[in-house]
Amino acid sequence: MVELRPAIEALAKHEVEFVIIGGVAINLHSSAYVTEDFDFCFLRERENLKRIVKAFAPFNPRLRHFPKHLPFIWDDQALQNGTNFTLETDIGDIDLLGEVKGVGNFANAEKESTIMNLFGYEVKVLSIEGLIKAKRAAGRTKDLLVLPELEALQDYLSRQEK
Amino acid sequence: MNEKQLELLLNPPPGSKLAAAKEFGIDLTLLIRKLELTPEQRLEELQQAMRSFDELRQEGEKWRKQTDGGVKAGDRGTSQTRS
Repeated sequence: MVELRPAIEALAKHEVEFVIIGGVAINLHSSAYVTEDFDFCFLRERENLKRIVKAFAPFNPRLRHFPKHLPFIWDDQALQNGTNFTLETDIGDIDLLGEVKGVGNFANAEKESTIMNLFGYEVKVLSIEGLIKAKRAAGRTKDLLVLPELEALQDYLSRQEK
Repeated sequence: MNEKQLELLLNPPPGSKLAAAKEFGIDLTLLIRKLELTPEQRLEELQQAMRSFDELRQEGEKWRKQTDGGVKAGDRGTSQTRS
């Protein structure tokens, strides 16, 4: 389980450029889907990496399934060296994605996002259309299972606009 | 949610994505309430659901440890009967 509020507040407070994706985004669009972790897409620019490092440092991030006896230094260099990271932290599992399958990098995800107000911050959340693209591209059974509900939501909302 | 919107979810038009989701087994009535919540409220509900699942999982693990792998309902020597 992940504590969502502290994770989102930390990112927003430190002005991290990020877009909420995955199960939390699906839920924010009204699905009853329950997820275990928090995924977001981030801008892979040095200044933003430094902000992410500062934002999550209090939560003691380390790489998930990484041998505990091996050292892991949480700094912007570590983030610069990779694209996607699966972290375990004191507040739960958090996945950082520099690129999202089916959507692309942060700039693409940002274009496909909608703004939602969360805990007093304006936060970018991947749109239903973006989530459908991501889930189709991911293609695992668990991803494909959420497509009918996402498409139903898309259908419902498009009929409200008419 | 007005009556028209409610009707759309309860009786989706044949051939629509809404109808396909219903046929797939998605409980569209769950969407009715979720759509009326703010994003922050949806997030709070998700967090509560996560906590509940976590508690259940922990209880299950505790039970498995206590019973050395769990006890099958049939092993208890009782049978379920219809009243």
